[in-house]
Amino acid sequence: MTLSFLSQQWIAFWRSRNKGKSLAIRATMAVLVFYLLLNVLVVAFFMDKILTKTHPGEDPLQVFNSFILYYFLIDLLTRFQLQELPTLSVRPYLHLPIKKNQIVNYLSITSLFTVFNLTPLLLTIPFLLKILVTQYGWPPFWGYAVCILGFTLFNHFFSLWLKRKVNLNGFWMLGFFAILLVVWLLEFYFKAITLSTISKDLFNTIVDRPLTSAISVFFALAMFVINHNYLKSNLYVEELQSSKTSLKSSTEIPYLDRFGMVGDLAANELKLIWRNKRSKSVITMCAMFMLYGLVFYTKPGFGYASTIFCGMFMTGIFIINYGQFMFSWQSGHFDGLLASKVNARDFFKSKFLLFSIFSTVCFLLTIPYIYFGWKVIVVHFIMYVWNLGVNTVLILYFANQNYKRIDLTKGSAMNWEGVGASQFILSIPLLIAPYIIYLPFSLLGYPEAGLGLIGVTGLAFILTRDLWLTRLANLFKRKRYIIAEGFRNQ
Amino acid sequence: MIEVKNLQKVYNGVKVVNITELVIRSGETVGLIGNNGAGKTTLFRMILDLIRTDGGEILSKGKNVAETEEWKNYTSSYLDEGFLIDYLTPEEYFYFIGSLYGLSKSHVDSKLLNYTEFFNGEILNKGKYIRDLSKGNQAKVGVVSCLLQRPELLMLDEPFANIDPSTQIRLKNLVKDLSGGKNLTTIISSHDLNHVTDVCERILLMEKGRIIKDIATNSNTLSELEEYFSVLS
Repeated sequence: MTLSFLSQQWIAFWRSRNKGKSLAIRATMAVLVFYLLLNVLVVAFFMDKILTKTHPGEDPLQVFNSFILYYFLIDLLTRFQLQELPTLSVRPYLHLPIKKNQIVNYLSITSLFTVFNLTPLLLTIPFLLKILVTQYGWPPFWGYAVCILGFTLFNHFFSLWLKRKVNLNGFWMLGFFAILLVVWLLEFYFKAITLSTISKDLFNTIVDRPLTSAISVFFALAMFVINHNYLKSNLYVEELQSSKTSLKSSTEIPYLDRFGMVGDLAANELKLIWRNKRSKSVITMCAMFMLYGLVFYTKPGFGYASTIFCGMFMTGIFIINYGQFMFSWQSGHFDGLLASKVNARDFFKSKFLLFSIFSTVCFLLTIPYIYFGWKVIVVHFIMYVWNLGVNTVLILYFANQNYKRIDLTKGSAMNWEGVGASQFILSIPLLIAPYIIYLPFSLLGYPEAGLGLIGVTGLAFILTRDLWLTRLANLFKRKRYIIAEGFRNQ
Repeated sequence: MIEVKNLQKVYNGVKVVNITELVIRSGETVGLIGNNGAGKTTLFRMILDLIRTDGGEILSKGKNVAETEEWKNYTSSYLDEGFLIDYLTPEEYFYFIGSLYGLSKSHVDSKLLNYTEFFNGEILNKGKYIRDLSKGNQAKVGVVSCLLQRPELLMLDEPFANIDPSTQIRLKNLVKDLSGGKNLTTIISSHDLNHVTDVCERILLMEKGRIIKDIATNSNTLSELEEYFSVLS
């Protein structure tokens, strides 16, 4: 049965509508993953050298032992972020005479084929062969291997189980993070426990008595059973499909109604952002970008060039990050939009309004960077004006070239849906344009003049926005059939 | 109201719509029927300027729909769920549509009162986004949002599909009332011959992109159509 599931999944992949795209993406991903694994292997081979460098005078094996549990903690967090739930679309099988156990087993088994399960072994086995086997012989080696495999599988099934729980009820995630926080506090703040000692003790015991590693196997099995039973008891269409629906209320966004039609459109788009998973994760990403400055400004001697870069991204992150997928966000109701009374100019004006709101918020949020000197804020402001003037127009121009539908209900981590050539081409002028203005002046020794010109250019674009609006609207009218056609292809 | 001249649409070398001439007069209630793939939805989409024509033109009140946007002021349509903004609640959606036509919230609320029976208590104040409604209830939202707009041209693509029998009858009465009193042109496509002959005074039968029959409805129409479709299969 598992085999016929597999073959049907295989067929589903090859016959899917956007085969070409997903093939290209998978090939790229495969190359990336291969490269990463290669790096892991290199690290693994030189682990003993690295450990003696970082912890001189200590036994590398002991250092290694003390790290293992931390590694698995981080592994768990990464999995929680990136690992995907296995997606056999179970729906067509539920009503057929197939035992639930078979479906669940299939889901569990296929989920195992992920890089996350390979890395722990790749990372440790070369080191163990090099150090452990030469010192203590084979039995402890097998003990280690089994133990590490056990923890890997435990993490694997635990993260799957937790993810499913979180999908149904977000409080599980809060609980999970609360536990992690408690562990962290106990370790670093109260110094009540030390994971490194526990880790060291555990693996030293394994060196003496390799059979102790059965503990981790026991944990893994227990987690497998928990996950299995949970899945089995929840194998209902409505529960697999989406999170529980709570009562939704109609909201009004007060400030926007003074803009009339344009404000209504912007308010709708704000609702789009808050009420859909993919767009919400873009906002989270934007929020994290507000810390971007810390990367640059903490280095002594940062110059205008890096402040321009940083300022552009921090004040314009919403424009760039959300704007690059315009109008795909609205692909689900694009036909309705076209057939409605909304005219193209209002449509574009609402985008400008949305960009202005978010950019202003972002600029205000960057004000604390004044700690690194008032010039930083001045540059931020200049780049804020630049973003509002130039980058908005640039992004909306490229939005007219984007015909890719996206599904709003999927998260954005590792999600390549809607990514196409237009996003890559877009990044070139986006990154280069301010420097084309700035660099000549800076090379001549007047960097301030360059900055000023960037600001003036931005301002000029804002003042002539009406002109750009007309051009964008005309382009949109020419492209509307192609865009709508692309969005209709699911 | 609507004039179609030499209209053509070609997909992969097949003419999916090929209409030499069609005139729909103001105030008519027209039913569009035909088996799957006859080109009904494609024709609808072209009248709404959602897809480019491969030849010919469509005039709405004498103006080409692809070149002007005036028709949007008096045309309302519901073809599929792609016309709804699915992350809004039905109320928010109605307010939004109302605002397009300059209706205030209280105005929209009072208009919605007329459709209490049609909604059957399943739409308003349910605390759901449109995406969480069933297909039938989504169709109700779509149809009512059309009627809110006081259109002169109303276009519904298979409105009777997915909705329950009581609502089908209510919808039928709704359309009859509307087309009786006011100056409303209606184009409805449907697979339900009973409903369509009941509601519409003129039936257009499409087959392979062509309009092969154009009949004024009378007492024999239903049996005539049933005969046509049974012979075809």
